[in-house]
Amino acid sequence: MKLWNRARRWSRRRAAESELAEEVRLHREMLEEQFVAAGMPREEARTAAAREFGNTTVFVEQSRDQWNVQWLSGALKDLQFAWRLARRQPLLSAAAILTIAFGVGANTAIVSVLETVLLNPVSLRDANRVVVARVRIDKIQFRHVQASAVEFRELQGMTDAFSAVAAEEGHYWTAQVGGEPVRLIGRSVTPDYFRVFGVNPELGRFFTAEDRESVVLSHAYWKAQFGGDRAAIGRSVILDGKAYRIVGVAPADFHFPPSARIWTSLYLTSERFRRGYNMNLWVFARLRNGVSVGRAADRVNRYMGGLDMKAEGYEGFGYGVEVDPISDFVVGDLRRPLWILWTAALVVLLTGCANVAGLLLTRAAGRRREIGIRISIGASRVRIVRQLLVESLLLGALGGLAGLPLAGSAVRLIAKLPLESQWLDLVKLDTRMLVYGFGLALASGLLFGSAPAVQLLRESQAAALVRSRPRWFRDVFVAAEVAGAFALVATTALLLRSLWSVERIRPGFDASNLSTAFVLKPNNDPGFPDRLRAALAASPAVESAALGKPIPFSGAELTSSFGIRNREHSPNEPEWHGEAYMVTPEYLHTMGIPLLRGRNLADSDTATAPTVCLIDAKLARAFFPNEDPIGQEIGMYKEWARIVGIVGTVRGSTLEEGSRPMVYYSLTQTPFFPDIGIVVRSRAPAGGVIREAVRRANASVAVYDIASMDERIAESLGLRRVLAWLLAIFGGISLLLAVVGIYAVVAHVVGERTMEIGIRMALGAKPIRILASFAGQGMRAGVIGLACGFMAACGAQRWIVSMLYRIQPFDAATFVLAGIGVLSLLLLAVWLPARRASRVDPKQALRYE
Amino acid sequence: METPELLPGTLDMLVLKTLTRGANHGYGIAQHIRRVSNDALRIGEGSLYPALQRLLLNEWVTAEWATTETNRKARFYRLTPAGRKQLAAEVKSFNFMIAAIGEVMESA
Repeated sequence: MKLWNRARRWSRRRAAESELAEEVRLHREMLEEQFVAAGMPREEARTAAAREFGNTTVFVEQSRDQWNVQWLSGALKDLQFAWRLARRQPLLSAAAILTIAFGVGANTAIVSVLETVLLNPVSLRDANRVVVARVRIDKIQFRHVQASAVEFRELQGMTDAFSAVAAEEGHYWTAQVGGEPVRLIGRSVTPDYFRVFGVNPELGRFFTAEDRESVVLSHAYWKAQFGGDRAAIGRSVILDGKAYRIVGVAPADFHFPPSARIWTSLYLTSERFRRGYNMNLWVFARLRNGVSVGRAADRVNRYMGGLDMKAEGYEGFGYGVEVDPISDFVVGDLRRPLWILWTAALVVLLTGCANVAGLLLTRAAGRRREIGIRISIGASRVRIVRQLLVESLLLGALGGLAGLPLAGSAVRLIAKLPLESQWLDLVKLDTRMLVYGFGLALASGLLFGSAPAVQLLRESQAAALVRSRPRWFRDVFVAAEVAGAFALVATTALLLRSLWSVERIRPGFDASNLSTAFVLKPNNDPGFPDRLRAALAASPAVESAALGKPIPFSGAELTSSFGIRNREHSPNEPEWHGEAYMVTPEYLHTMGIPLLRGRNLADSDTATAPTVCLIDAKLARAFFPNEDPIGQEIGMYKEWARIVGIVGTVRGSTLEEGSRPMVYYSLTQTPFFPDIGIVVRSRAPAGGVIREAVRRANASVAVYDIASMDERIAESLGLRRVLAWLLAIFGGISLLLAVVGIYAVVAHVVGERTMEIGIRMALGAKPIRILASFAGQGMRAGVIGLACGFMAACGAQRWIVSMLYRIQPFDAATFVLAGIGVLSLLLLAVWLPARRASRVDPKQALRYE
Repeated sequence: METPELLPGTLDMLVLKTLTRGANHGYGIAQHIRRVSNDALRIGEGSLYPALQRLLLNEWVTAEWATTETNRKARFYRLTPAGRKQLAAEVKSFNFMIAAIGEVMESA
């Protein structure tokens, strides 16, 4: 009530002020008249009244205080003052603003990523209600793999835990767009798919159980192909030569998965309901209200535990279904790195704050007299503290304003990072992120502003006008900066050393000058692969070319268990598991994989000829250590295939890990897959050559995913590279801040004590002793910081263990090197001002004040 | 001319008490207090007007422009029921305080 009154009065303060002035004028007139009535002459009466009344300005001001919302107008004045102060020291202000801007920018950008992929995956509404159910088979180290239709049907039956269950299958189709064949990526989904994610159609409807050959368009595809025409419903799109009826359009904010342009209805035929077969369904479910993820997982585990696995033929396989939040599915292995980066960005911001606090402390020291005087003429402490906080808040706010555009460009950069995660394209800065960033900036302002405020208060209590020097206060900030910087630098060093070790690994084939691409085999054109081979070979730019499925580093390995003819698999042995490549005979030569023994695949290995295969040296060593593998038979993707040759081992999925044992089949003998990869060795990038050759082989075939092998390998290293380099940037910045901070403190102390140094020198102190004493004082904080940083770095180890390669988490050499590096920079930072102290000329110094 | 300093916090009470006799303007209030106290209490205008603003703010008085008996315009302050309650409370604590001070002064 009172506040409301004040606010109302404040809002009409002009009217109130003139009212008061009028009242005062009338009062004086009455006094004057009283004096006149008592017999005073008019002139005299006027002066007497004025005298009696006293200083009107003062009490008008006091009256005004009663209705002013005092802190507000006071704060405005503080703000003006702060602004003038900030402009008077442009360097210090710029340093503070830039520090905050960078810290806030980096933080906001990283939190935007966290938000998109982790906290609120791809802007799914109530994403915490959606789970993914994935299969694990312990026996063959399978985790988080797709399910078969059986698990889908089983989950559908658990209506007490799930309100909707859906399965999806990745799909791509060739569509004709503007006369050109184009590959469309999408999903085939069961009817409840959209209900699981809680979305409603933008237009038309979603699928029902009766739908066959029906399609739902993504909002973007609808806009692009139909110009947003509402009459698109009921029309058809031709996919792989078949007409699909458009029944609906998904809303613009539904991006699951981000690459999907269309969704078609998925009809599960009865032969798919066989456990362990056709495991290519992702199963998603919506939790029933009140059911937690944990309870749903328990429910599924209880069901799986009750199954008779022996009867199903999976006894001892450790076959199970895991239920996880959808964010697990979206973020995958990005989770940890993102938290690390966020922590690192916070450390940078905090070291930045510590640094700015140090700067402000230095400035506050210079203002001790100003503030002492203000206190002694009656300024309240609250008023002074408010003043200081307004000053730092202003710096924080300016830093925030500068940092948010920075965050904007950082987010645009993130979308361009060479990471496989398709979700990163969806990251954007929204209002909440801007609010977070600005709030962070203001909080930083408060944080570094409270340091000089607290110090001033303590001092003013001791003795307002006496110079005192509580240095430990500044030392704390220096120590904190050094600690943060060292923790980041040591962690970065470990990651960089891992990165370099991994980058030095050769994959077992010659990755340079290799271009790769994929095509979808056309229906009703069995001669296509051979014509394509011929067209590629005929191209003059091509040194060598081959077809294969899959292609190394394309993120789609074919893994399978296998058997060896006439050999029993002993029950305690883990299942024999390997990878398969289905290639044309030119593959080895094109890739540069050596044939160690036996013969290569040949054109004579046709579909009707006996099935043959090559194995790699790893398989040969592991399974035929004491016998000749050539002539033996292996069963994997086809019936028994005779081993005809042994080739060098390659790494096909990541550089870090050795591949599973590999088997190479002849592509002609294993035409199982609709897509074929193309590998071309040529001097110049061969994207255009590949397109041209494919067009000559069959003009209706779409080429997609053109990339050089180097690019593919770089992409597989993407996360490691991005994390290491971003951390290196963060670490470098915080180290720079720490060095600048410690330099500033020592330089300031030297400046403050020039006279004392002069006296000591005059009394015969050696310059080297002066140098040592100042450098020692500076280093004390640095060394304490280093110790704290060492502990912090040790604590951070468990976060990065999974990112390390061929290096121990507590690698002594790295830690020592990082320590020496940081320490020598710090030494330089204290040595420069300390040397100045040792060169003080006593005569000059004593004349100083 | 020496005027004894008012006990802190008593000015509001004096103004409120004056207004129990009816609405009055600032000059009138000051004159009344001075007359009744036989010139002992002179309310400086410098403290009267801030006090009146304070009372207004707390809604213990209301103010309106009117003409005086000498046909001048002036701002008249009037006691509100809340102001009356406040006065009673202040008088009570004032009496208590005076009594207490009296005890102390006489005991010595």
